[in-house]
Amino acid sequence: MSAVTARKSSGALGWARSAETGRILGTLALTLGVIAWAGADLFRQDLALLGATYALLALGMYLPFNLAGALSLAYSAYVAIGGYAVGLVATKTGWPLPLAYLLGAVASAALAVLLGFATRRLSGFYLAAVTLLFGVAFQSFLLDAKDITGGALGIGSIRPLTLFGSELDRRTFIALTLLAVWIVAVAVDRVRRSPFGVALQSSRDVPAAVEAAGVGVPAMRLTVLGAGAAIASLGGGLFTTANQTIGPDTFTLHLVMLAIFMPLLGGQGSAWGAVLGAVLVVELTFNLQIFERSGSLIFGVAVLAVLLIAPGGILGFAGQATRWLRGRLARGKGAQEKGARP
Amino acid sequence: MSAQLWVSVVQIGCFFGLVALGYYLVLEGADFFNFALGPFAMFSGLTASWLMAEQGWPLGLAAVLGIAIAAVLAVVTEVALVRPIDARTGGGELPSLIAVVAVLFAVEQLAGTLFGRQLMPGRSWLPHTSLDLGFVTVDGQTLALVFCTVVAFTGVWLWMRKSRYGRILRAVGSNREAAKTLGMPVGRVRLVAFALAGGVVGLAGQLFAAKAGVSFQSGFGWALSGFLALVIGGTGSVWAPLAGGMLLALAQTLVPYYLGSASLDYAVLAVAILFFALRPSGLFVRKVRV
Repeated sequence: MSAVTARKSSGALGWARSAETGRILGTLALTLGVIAWAGADLFRQDLALLGATYALLALGMYLPFNLAGALSLAYSAYVAIGGYAVGLVATKTGWPLPLAYLLGAVASAALAVLLGFATRRLSGFYLAAVTLLFGVAFQSFLLDAKDITGGALGIGSIRPLTLFGSELDRRTFIALTLLAVWIVAVAVDRVRRSPFGVALQSSRDVPAAVEAAGVGVPAMRLTVLGAGAAIASLGGGLFTTANQTIGPDTFTLHLVMLAIFMPLLGGQGSAWGAVLGAVLVVELTFNLQIFERSGSLIFGVAVLAVLLIAPGGILGFAGQATRWLRGRLARGKGAQEKGARP
Repeated sequence: MSAQLWVSVVQIGCFFGLVALGYYLVLEGADFFNFALGPFAMFSGLTASWLMAEQGWPLGLAAVLGIAIAAVLAVVTEVALVRPIDARTGGGELPSLIAVVAVLFAVEQLAGTLFGRQLMPGRSWLPHTSLDLGFVTVDGQTLALVFCTVVAFTGVWLWMRKSRYGRILRAVGSNREAAKTLGMPVGRVRLVAFALAGGVVGLAGQLFAAKAGVSFQSGFGWALSGFLALVIGGTGSVWAPLAGGMLLALAQTLVPYYLGSASLDYAVLAVAILFFALRPSGLFVRKVRV
């Protein structure tokens, strides 16, 4: 509470100097930088698109996993639902594509709540295993239900997105996707610091205390599971729109494993850690893999090293280093002033 | 259902049972599921296959080296990763789960980088032997697998009853705090459990690689199957993982046979949810008479 009043009392220009504004504007500048970097280069566009999809997946897992401590691994299914929603709406109906993002989000959120309800008494290893098995079963459903999903071939020739009567080219679409990632990341980070987010994080560490304070932990968990699934499905939908095709191999179980490690690598302390982790994963497993074929190994070793050496991830490590440096500078200045006084 | 399918059930069941035995040992000693055991089995099988195919090593030497590597991997996981992370986080479940998943991924990628990313064939231990039972023929590799499974389970059973460390492991498994208070070497026993589990799944990987081949991604599915076998069997006795493995293998063979191949994954999911909802401690539970 005191922090809030302190910020308010810092004057009319206080908002411009606050750390939150800096964070939002800084990340917006970085996002615009990535959009400019991707430009018209097709390969860079692919990298940016993959990074955006991974980031949305990691942000979707951030709420239930990193904040609430429930490791659900069914996210490959939710991303795929987002993708197939776009595919089905584009090929079987004449509806506008943005409706598909909404439908996919609602469908995967409903499925996540259902699965979360079925597994509400499980945690840790058991929850991870059952949700993983759900992902496996969903994968074979995608292969099996040929009438709906097109089987092993998937759904191809998906029409491009049209906004205000004109078709969007790939470059504009990817810029919009990156901006969407920025908006979601800002939102997720604000949720983290809201009273709801605080209750969520406390429910991970001391569920009994949160229950005693009058907050229903199971309902809260189901809510974030649904919200996370919706975010992940948006990632799948945007990816599918840009690539105009979706199949059972597009989003595999392997992807979920990568997604667990993204916030870990980037830093669990903030939602931006998930985004940074996604960027690193794309660089290591996609960009490096093509040239050296050992990018995934480097990634695995990096995750192990982060687990051991820097549990706060890269952002946490950077924050620590900044504080240490600032402390050193302040002490150095103080010593100078002391020395100059007599 | 033809009799040959039953041979396949026994074969898969023995393999699942061995992996589940590895889980059981780690669960007794350290109270968590070491999902990285599947990739350890894969690494063992893949190492041996690669040594035989590319370097021309004899089968026995390659197999022994493969099993030793699996045990070493398990020990390194415990010493370098699980123990420091446990110490830092105060023994929470989620950090160790993340750590073993990270090991799973790293071992998988290490194998992919070292041995290539294609499926490698295993080699049968007894290629020229087969047992004709009249209604069914059992090939040499199945005989070797069944024999090794029986030996491994009997060995672990005897070890946990007769040997010093085995008995301490049982004590740690039933009450860690009490064992610690009594001054038992809990940390060392934990390490022994990890090493033994690594060796057992290493053996399992060797024997099963000859049936279906092994690739760097095999370990993931093996880890899930072993986990399920242990969940079905329970931890009431050393033999429970074998029973769970057999039941799982039976389901995995029967369900596709009668209902089509896609239903297998649905059935496995249904079985898992049913077991977690109704019998979370498995079929065989240790009962204490007071």
